[in-house]
Amino acid sequence: MGNRSEEDYNFVFKVVLIGESGVGKTNLLSRFTRNEFSHDSRTTIGVEFSTRTVMLGTAAVKAQIWDTAGLERYRAITSAYYRGAVGALLVFDLTKHQTYAVVERWLKELYDHAEATIVVMLVGNKSDLSQAREVPTDEARMFAENNGLLFLETSALDSTNVELAFETVLKEIFAKVSKQRQNSTRTNAITLGSAQAGQEPGPGEKRACCISL
Amino acid sequence: MAKSRGENGPRSPAAEGSLSGTRESLAPGPDAATADELSSLGSDSEANGFAERRIDKFGFIVGSQGAEGALEEVPLEVLRQRESKWLDMLNNWDKWMAKKHKKIRLRCQKGIPPSLRGRAWQYLSGGKVKLQQNPGKFDELDMSPGDPKWLDVIERDLHRQFPFHEMFVSRGGHGQQDLFRVLKAYTLYRPEEGYCQAQAPIAAVLLMHMPAEQAFWCLVQICEKYLPGYYSEKLEAIQLDGEILFSLLQKVSPVAHKHLSQQKIDPLLYMTEWFMCAFARTLPWSSVLRVWDMFFCEGVKIIFRVGLVLLKHALGSPEKLKACQGQYETIERLRSLSPKIMQEAFLVQEVVELSVTERQIEREHLIQLRRWQETRGELQCHSSPRLHGAKAILEAEPGPWPTLQPSPSIRLPPDAPLSGSKGKSKPSKQVQKEQKEQRKQIKTSGQPDKSTTTSQTKVVAAAGDACLPQDVPPKDPVHQDPAPQDSAPQDPAHHRSQESLASQESEDTYL
Repeated sequence: MGNRSEEDYNFVFKVVLIGESGVGKTNLLSRFTRNEFSHDSRTTIGVEFSTRTVMLGTAAVKAQIWDTAGLERYRAITSAYYRGAVGALLVFDLTKHQTYAVVERWLKELYDHAEATIVVMLVGNKSDLSQAREVPTDEARMFAENNGLLFLETSALDSTNVELAFETVLKEIFAKVSKQRQNSTRTNAITLGSAQAGQEPGPGEKRACCISL
Repeated sequence: MAKSRGENGPRSPAAEGSLSGTRESLAPGPDAATADELSSLGSDSEANGFAERRIDKFGFIVGSQGAEGALEEVPLEVLRQRESKWLDMLNNWDKWMAKKHKKIRLRCQKGIPPSLRGRAWQYLSGGKVKLQQNPGKFDELDMSPGDPKWLDVIERDLHRQFPFHEMFVSRGGHGQQDLFRVLKAYTLYRPEEGYCQAQAPIAAVLLMHMPAEQAFWCLVQICEKYLPGYYSEKLEAIQLDGEILFSLLQKVSPVAHKHLSQQKIDPLLYMTEWFMCAFARTLPWSSVLRVWDMFFCEGVKIIFRVGLVLLKHALGSPEKLKACQGQYETIERLRSLSPKIMQEAFLVQEVVELSVTERQIEREHLIQLRRWQETRGELQCHSSPRLHGAKAILEAEPGPWPTLQPSPSIRLPPDAPLSGSKGKSKPSKQVQKEQKEQRKQIKTSGQPDKSTTTSQTKVVAAAGDACLPQDVPPKDPVHQDPAPQDSAPQDPAHHRSQESLASQESEDTYL
């Protein structure tokens, strides 16, 4: 996946990072957009974001990645955060089972606020800490499959699968968007409206299947 | 930021030994390998070569705070004179608050001398009074086991507050330990509130200036008096303040307001971190301290003013908006503000001159509250009405007010008589009953009730109109004088107290 100049892009895809506090959302963001990682990156309060423009085929896509506080009480202020998001990475820490156990709650939160057609990937982060694993890969993968989510395990620390995770989500979004391309040739921010009957999966249908490791 | 030799600046906590200028500063930025080594090797920063880094006068690793413009250095004699005046104020606090509050406010606007900042904040916020009223309470909380649910989250945050400040850089070091103690204590003190992540940076700033117990009580005051509801479930207060801020912006900078409107940018997208952390994560450090000096004295209106100034100067002209054509670009601009508009002297000047008053804020609050109730129903969390600064907080204390014990850190000449200490007296039953009634009133009406106590209202109104350079009539007919404090005259040569409390003191415009 190549990079293009930040000025030159055909699409803007807003992708949100969600999940419990401390799972690594901020570092996934910094790893992907700036190739940086910090053990002490500060607690996210409010909203952070970064962008990176990538090539998908011949199209230049600007990924606008949004990051926010994971703590429960911040969910009260997140509706602005979700607005217009076409993709989401639902992140848990695979060394802390508690952060995985609440994934369903996060999914509900997501569907309450975002469009039903949003592309979602379940991400088990911190794969570098293999000895401390508390969530078996198969278990998480199964959950993702059953819920129509993409799935990957990543490590923001050593970069494993970070590019792949974002790339996969963006490609998926792009595929959906491509179907609309005939209708819209202007450069604009895309939202996946459910008005395109027959082109996007409706709420009850299954999404693209998960990608295994 | 080469002024790390303690010329004029404060001695940051544990500064001894870490002020060295021998080596090149900061290691290459957050870099995987270095960060890994530093962190996984354990908590002792000095073992990892930290001692060779240069520390600025605030305690930050040089370079970590971003380039600061030419530092404003207060001339040494001026600083010493200010210190002397502040010492006098602190030793006669009740008198000063009762009769010379305007002067206190002016001096807070000029900046509290670093050596006395921690103490002054405690006095201004009423944290000192709280501590005296609750002897042993912090220790009790400190020794109690906390709720594991909160402790878990707090622990995850300890190394994520000001990691480039020497006090907090070491994992498991004293700074992080104290941070843990303070935050844990709060969750025990107010279990229904629990822990909100923005409290960590607030507590960290306090800890940079005072020990854990004192920091705890100042945190309590901030959470309950200055910014009630900011850290509670549902975060309703911050949402309301976002709307208030945006509304006030219309008059302050119609251009900025229009732009944010058109771009459909929710205030929460830019003001959340600003307000919840009282700008501790936004401004250069010298500006943070100046803002906090004023904030402790005058309350949340300072926070609003800073926000408005930043918005106005970032987005307030067509010229500036040229680079902000989209929603994303606009928010980006607000997240990377020009150093010029955040610079200490400029910012303070703008804030002091911006005529946004408490009354306006409270009026807007009612409007937004009504709008909320119409569109979203009742508030789920009823916080008490906020108190707009030191004077309001002091006057809201159930009287008679305890005499403030001077801190043992001030050493008087051996023959100077100490102020008599009045024992802590409980408010009379009648007063307690009245207060209970008033609190009930507030709860049921569900709104910041303007008529809680008449004196409070008067104070809010009076203080609200007290924008420089207008004079506020000092006499408030309803205002109750504190019980006459038995403050024995200090040694004049030492504190010049006779002079300062003389009624015809002229405005010292310079100092």
